[in-house]
Amino acid sequence: MAAPNLSRDPLEPLPLLEGNHTDKTINDSLLEHVWRGAGKGWWALFACALSALSLLGIAITWTLYKGIGVWGNNIPVGWAFGIINFVWWIGIGHAGTLISAILLLFQQKWRTSINRFAEAMTLFAVICALLFPLLHTGRPWFAAYWLMPYPSVQRIWPQFKSPLTWDVFAVSTYFTISLLFWFLGLVPDLAALRDSSKSKTKRMIYGLFAMGWRGSGRHWAEYKWAYLLLAGLSTPLVLSVHTIVSFDFAVSVLPGWHTTIFPPYFVAGAVFSGFAMVLTWMLPAREFLGLKHVVTLKHLNNMAKVLLVTGMMVTYGYLMEHFVGWYSGNPYEYSEFFRARQHGPMAPIYWLMMFCNCVVPQIFWSKRARTNILVLWFASILINVGMWCERFTIVITSLHRDFIPSSWKAYSPTWVDISLFIGTIGLFSTLFLLFLKFVPAVAVTEIKELRHELDHDPTAEGAGVTH
Amino acid sequence: MSCDDNHEARAKDRVRRSLPIVKSESQGAPASSSASRKLWRSIEERTRAETPGAANEFPGGAADLDGVSRRGFMQLLGVSTAVATVGAACRKPNEKIIPFVRRPEELTPGNALHFATGYALEGYTSGLLVESHEGHPTKIEGNPSHPETLGATTTTEQALILGLYDDDRAKQLRRGATPIAWPTFLSEVKGRTASLAQNGGAGLRFLTGPTASPLLADLRRRILEKFPRAKFVSYSPVAADGAIEGAKLAFGRPLMPRHHLGAAAIILSLDADFLNDGPEQTRLAREFASRREPSRDMNRLYVVEPAMTVTGAMADHRMRLRCGDVSAFAAGLCAMLSGRGLSALGPVGSLGHGAGLWDSKWLVALAADLEKNRGRSLVIAGRRQPAVVHALAAALNAALGNIGSTVEYGVPITTDPTAGVEPLRTLVDEIAGGAVDTLVVTAENPAYGGPVDFKLGQLLKRVPNVIYHGLYEDETAQSCNYFVPAAHALESWGDGRATDGVVTIVQPLIAPLWGGKTEAEVLAAFVSDGEVGTHALLQKYWSSMSKLPGNLTGSFDGVWERWLADGIVPDTGAGAEQGLAINSQALAQAAAPLLASDAALAGVEIAFAPDPKTFDGRFANNAWLQELAHPISKLTWDNVAMLSQTTADRLSVETGDMVTITCRDRTLEAPAMIVPGHADEAITLPLGYGRVHTGHVGRAVGFDATALRTSLAPWFDRGAVVANTGKRYRLAITQDHWTMSPDGRDIPPPAVEAPLAEVLNSGSMFHEELEERRGPLPDVFKPVDYSGQTYKWAMAIDLNKCTGCNACVVACQSENNIPVVGKDNVWRGREMQWIRIDRYFSGPVDEPQMINQPLACVQCETAPCEYVCPVNATVHSDEGLNEMIYNRCIGTRYCSNNCPYKVRRFNFLDYTADISPAREMGMNPDVTVRARGVMEKCTYCVQRIERKRIATRIEGRTIADGELETACQQGCPTQAISFGSLNDPTAKVTKLHADPRRYDLLHELATRPRTAYLARVRNPNPDLVKVD
Repeated sequence: MAAPNLSRDPLEPLPLLEGNHTDKTINDSLLEHVWRGAGKGWWALFACALSALSLLGIAITWTLYKGIGVWGNNIPVGWAFGIINFVWWIGIGHAGTLISAILLLFQQKWRTSINRFAEAMTLFAVICALLFPLLHTGRPWFAAYWLMPYPSVQRIWPQFKSPLTWDVFAVSTYFTISLLFWFLGLVPDLAALRDSSKSKTKRMIYGLFAMGWRGSGRHWAEYKWAYLLLAGLSTPLVLSVHTIVSFDFAVSVLPGWHTTIFPPYFVAGAVFSGFAMVLTWMLPAREFLGLKHVVTLKHLNNMAKVLLVTGMMVTYGYLMEHFVGWYSGNPYEYSEFFRARQHGPMAPIYWLMMFCNCVVPQIFWSKRARTNILVLWFASILINVGMWCERFTIVITSLHRDFIPSSWKAYSPTWVDISLFIGTIGLFSTLFLLFLKFVPAVAVTEIKELRHELDHDPTAEGAGVTH
Repeated sequence: MSCDDNHEARAKDRVRRSLPIVKSESQGAPASSSASRKLWRSIEERTRAETPGAANEFPGGAADLDGVSRRGFMQLLGVSTAVATVGAACRKPNEKIIPFVRRPEELTPGNALHFATGYALEGYTSGLLVESHEGHPTKIEGNPSHPETLGATTTTEQALILGLYDDDRAKQLRRGATPIAWPTFLSEVKGRTASLAQNGGAGLRFLTGPTASPLLADLRRRILEKFPRAKFVSYSPVAADGAIEGAKLAFGRPLMPRHHLGAAAIILSLDADFLNDGPEQTRLAREFASRREPSRDMNRLYVVEPAMTVTGAMADHRMRLRCGDVSAFAAGLCAMLSGRGLSALGPVGSLGHGAGLWDSKWLVALAADLEKNRGRSLVIAGRRQPAVVHALAAALNAALGNIGSTVEYGVPITTDPTAGVEPLRTLVDEIAGGAVDTLVVTAENPAYGGPVDFKLGQLLKRVPNVIYHGLYEDETAQSCNYFVPAAHALESWGDGRATDGVVTIVQPLIAPLWGGKTEAEVLAAFVSDGEVGTHALLQKYWSSMSKLPGNLTGSFDGVWERWLADGIVPDTGAGAEQGLAINSQALAQAAAPLLASDAALAGVEIAFAPDPKTFDGRFANNAWLQELAHPISKLTWDNVAMLSQTTADRLSVETGDMVTITCRDRTLEAPAMIVPGHADEAITLPLGYGRVHTGHVGRAVGFDATALRTSLAPWFDRGAVVANTGKRYRLAITQDHWTMSPDGRDIPPPAVEAPLAEVLNSGSMFHEELEERRGPLPDVFKPVDYSGQTYKWAMAIDLNKCTGCNACVVACQSENNIPVVGKDNVWRGREMQWIRIDRYFSGPVDEPQMINQPLACVQCETAPCEYVCPVNATVHSDEGLNEMIYNRCIGTRYCSNNCPYKVRRFNFLDYTADISPAREMGMNPDVTVRARGVMEKCTYCVQRIERKRIATRIEGRTIADGELETACQQGCPTQAISFGSLNDPTAKVTKLHADPRRYDLLHELATRPRTAYLARVRNPNPDLVKVD
C-alpha cells in the first residue's frame, strides 16, 4: 500500500491504481480485511446495526400482530413510510447495477474497484426494499402469493392492468439477476479465499461457494461470457425497474403522481441516490479497510461527476413537473405543486428536498470538492436525505391534499413507522458489515486484470504513476 | 381465508357462550363479585371526578399512538364479561307480536320480518319499522304509515339498535349493592306501599320523564287513587316548557303549537332548530324539503340563532344573534310589522323597537316578506327561548293569520304539560324539607342532567327510599337504594302518542336481553300489579275502553293485532283548538318586564344546547353517535365550547385551546372551537357529555356543560368570563377545512349552489357552468353500453334538500355493519362511515353560508380504483356497480389512493375483533363483517338489490321504481337521495339525472359517476341581495 502521491501534476489524470503492485500484493492487501480478525470498530458498528435490526424485528412483529393501523397511514394517505422506504431502497440499489453492467459494457476501467461493493449494496438495498411491498398490505399472508400468477383453483389471476402486479415481476427479476451477477463475479475471489484459507473449515466453506473454481482457461472463458451476458441482462433492468416503480404513481389519477416524466426522472433519481449511498459507505470503508490504493481519488472524482449529472437530471425533472403543473392549466396539478408542496403543512420536507437534491450537488463543479473526502461524504449523506424527502413529497404530500378538500387530512408517522425505517438501515448495515467481514470488498480478480492491462498499456488513461 | 376463519371461530364462540342458559333472575355475575366490581368502579370514578381537568385533558389512551389503548379500542363496543346468557340465537318475546305487512305468520329462515313499533323521546312517540332477522332486530326504519315519521327517522332513532345490544346496559336489579330478584323487589315495594298508604302516600313522590303514554297516565291515575297525597313530577333537562308557558301568556291557557311547513312560504325561526331537534323534526324536514323545489312557490327560510345549526345552514337568510337578544328581536319585529300596518298585533306591536343589535334592513325585508305572505308564513320559536318569545311568536302568527294554516295550537298531550325546572324545584324543596320518604325516579338520569344548584345527586341520598329505573348504572343510580334495570324501547311493550296525538302501540322486537323492566311495570308495582307484565297491563287498559278508537268492530284481539301490525291506532289524533284569540293587552303587559330583564345582563353569554348526537346525554354510550361527525363542527367523540372567530380573536383563543368559563362563581374547563357563523360574545355549550357513570363508550367523553347550568338560567346566562388556560386539547375532527378552496385553488366547486333567480333563468351562468359538468367527455375509449342490462343502478342526491342531519350516515352504519374505530383512530383519519356529509362554508367567517354534500362511493363507470387493484378485488358489475370482493382484498390501499372522491374505507386494525355476543345479534346477516386489512366502501346496498331481485324474480317480474331503497335513502327525512335504474325512463332517478340542476362531481376526470348531484338553490329575498 502506497500513500497517495501528493506531488502530482494537477493536469495529469488521477491514477486508478496507486503504488507498485504484483498479483501477490494485490491479493494480500485486498483479502487482508477478510482474514484479519474483527476489530473493535467492526464490533461496535455491528452492535449498532444489530440493535437497529432488532428494532426492525419488533416493528414487523407488531405490524403483523395488530395490523397496518399501528402505522400512521390513514385515508387519504393510504401509502406512507412503507412505500417511501420501498422506493428509496430500490433506488439505492440502482448504482450497483449501473456500475456493474452498464459501465462494464462501456468498458469503463474505473468501475473495477467499486463494482463488488456497489453490487453488494444493490443486493442488500433490494432486500430492504422487498420487505415493504408485502408488509404494507393489509393481509400480507395473502399478498405473499395472490400477487403471483399461479393457476389457482379459484381461477383468479392477478390483475395485469395494475402497476403493483408489474412491480412484482420487475422487482423479483431485479433481485434475481442482481444476486446472480454479484455471485458470479465473486466466484474467482471465493476460490482465492479458499486457496489462502488457513483453517480447514474456512477452506470447506469458501470451497463450497467457489463451486469448484480452478482458474483453468476454460473456466475463465466461460466466466467471461457468463459475466458479459448477465451484464447484458442487467442493463435494461437499470432502466426498467425504477420505470415500473414510477408507474405505481404515474398510472394513477392523483395530482402529483399523474405525470409522464416519472420514468426517466425516477431512474435518474435512483442512480443519483445509489451513487450517493455508495459514496456514503465507500469513503469510510476505503479508509478503514485499507483500500485507498484501489479506490483512488480518480474513482471518487468520477462518482462525484455522476452525482452532478444525475442531480441535474433530477432537478430538470422537478422543473418539468412544476412547469406542467402550470402549463397544463389543471387547477388540481397547479395547487399540488405551487400550494400544497410549497406552502402546505409538509412544505419543510419539500424545501429540504430541493436544497439537498438540486443545490448540494452543484458543489461538484469544483474539482477540489470532488476530491475532498469530507465534502464528498457530507454531500452524499445530504443527497440520501434529499432523495428520501423526494419520495416523502411524492407519496405523502400528493396524497394528503387531492381533489375534494373535505377529504384532506394531515399525516404523522408513529413509532412503528420510524422504527421500520431505522430498522431497514439496521438490516442494510448488518448485511453490509457481514459482507465486509467474509467476502473481499473489492473484486480481486478484476483488479489483477486491471493491473495487467495497465502494465501492458502504460499510456492508458488512469495508468497513473505505477512502475 | 381469514374471513371464514373468523366466522367459524365466532360461531364456536357463540355456541360456547350460549351453553349456560340461565333464567333472568339469576343473570349476571354472582352477588359478591357484582358488588365488589361496582365498588371498585365507584372509587376509580370518584377519583377522576375530583380532577376534572386531568380527566378531560386526555381521555384515557388518547396519547397512545397506535390505537391499542382502552379508548383506542373502544370500537369494541362491549366488554364480554357477564354476557354468558346472551348468545342464544332467538329471543322472541313471549307475547304475540305482529309483523308490519300482513302475511302468513311463518318465519322463513333467512328472510327478515318488519315490525311496527314506536320510540318515545321527550314524551312523544314516533312510529318505527324495525327489521328483524330470526328474532334479532337489526335495522330501524321509519313507519311509512305514521304521520310524524313518514317512513324516515332521526339520527338518534337510527342508532337505537346499537343501544339495544349495548353490553354496558344495567343488568342487575339491586337493593343497595345486593342483587335481588324481581319478585323480591315487588314484595318489598308492597311492604313499602302498605306503610305509605296509611297517610295517603304523603311521602310518596314520582319523578318521571315527560310522557304521553295513555297506559302510564292510567297507572298514574290508579296510583293517585290509592295514594291521594302522592305527587308526580315530570322532568326533562331539555324540556321545551317555553312553548307551553308562552301559549299561556298569549292565549291564557297552556297550549302546544304544532307546525305545518307544507303551507308556509315564509318561515322565520327564532332560535328553533326545527329541522334537527324536537319531536316534530322528521315531519317538518319532509314538509320543508317538499317546498324547496326551485319554482316561484319555493319557501324562504329566515333564521335568527346564536350558533350555526342544521336549520341555520338551510337558511336563505341567517342572522346570528345571542339567545338573550332574540326576545328583543321578536319584539322589534312586532314593532316593525305594527308600524307597517299590521294592526292585529295591538299593544304587542309597541313593545320593542325596529332598531337594535341587528341590521335594520334585514328586519324591514323580513317584515315585508311576512306581511306579503299573510296566512302563508310561520314564526317558530325554539325550545331554549323563554315564554315571552313563544308568546310573541304566537302573537305574530295570530296577527299574520297563520293559525290554522301553518301552525295550530292544541291541548298538550303529555300528561304533565311542563317538565322543566319549576316543577322540579317544588320536589327539590320537599326533599330538602324532609317531606319525601319514597321517591320513584323513572326520569332519564336527573342527577346528571338536572340543574347544578339543585345538587340532585346528593339530595337523592337524603331520601330514605329511592327507586331508580334506568338503562344504565348512571349518575342517578349512584344515589338510589333500589335500582331497576330498564328494558330498552325495543324490548318493551308500551304505548305512546306522537305530537299530533296519534297513538302507537309499542311492541317489543325481542325479549329483554338482560331482564330489564318497563316503566309501566315499576309504576304498576305500586298498585300491586307488578307481576302481570306490561303486555297484560296494556291490553287490559285498551280493552277496557268503552269505545275503541276508530269505531272498530270485531273482537278486541283482531283490533289489537291490526294496531300492532299498522303501528298506529286510527283516529287518535288530537284536534286543534279553534277560535283562539290573543289577549294582546295582557300579553303586552306581561311581556314588557320580561323583555326588559333579558336585555339587562351584560357580558359574554353562555348558552346550552341539546347535542345532535348524545341529546341530553342519554345516548352518550352509543358509539355510532359518538363517532358521528357533528353536523356543523364535524367533531367526533367530544363536545366543545363553540364561539365566533371575532370573540376568539378578542380572547386570544384558538380551536383546541382549553379555556375556563366562569359564570355565577362556577367554573368549567372545556376545549374551545371556533365555529363560523356564531354570535359574538357568546359561547355555546352542548349538553350530553362529560358523563362519569355510564358504559365504557361514553365515560369521560367531552366535558359536562351542566356544571354551569343552574335552575335560574337553564338555557342561557350572561356575564361569563372566559380565560385561555394555555393547555391544548386534541380534537378528532373529520373535516378540517371550512371552504371548498382552502388553499385558494380555482376549481369547480364540489357543492354547487345558486340563487333561485339564476336557476329559473335557463340562460344564466349557472346553467352554462353546469352544462360543462355533465354529459360525455371526449374519450379515446368507447364507453361501455349498459342499455342492454335490465338495470343500470344510479343515484341522485339533491343538495337542495339535504339538511346534513346525519340520519343517512347512521342508517348506513347500521345496515352495512360498519365498525366504530374510536377517537384516536378518527383523529388519525380512519373513520369508517361509508357515507359522509361534507360541509362547506362560504362568505365571511362570521357571516357564512353553509352547504352540505353527502358523499359515498359514486360508482364510477370508469372507476380509477378498479384497474389499480393487483388482485381483482374491486370489479365492475354488469349493472354498473363498483363492487368490493372483501375476501379477495389484500389491502394495498392503492384503490383508495387512486379514488378521487376518497370514499373508500380501510380496516386499519381489527375493529370487530372483540364485539360482544350481544352486539353480534344486531349485525345485518346479509352483509359480511370485514376482516382487518380489508378495504370497504358503499355498494349502493347491493344486499338490498339482491334481496329484491330474488323476490321479484320469484314473482316473475322486474324491480319496479321505488320499491327498492338504499339504507341512506330510506332514512333520509327530506328524501334528498333517490335511487333506481337509469334504464327505466320513468324512474325518479332517471328524471333527476336529466334535471337542469344535475351535475357530476369531478366530471372533468371522466370517471362517469353514477351518483349525480342536483345543485342547491337559495331563495334570497331580492331586497337583501347585495348588488355586487
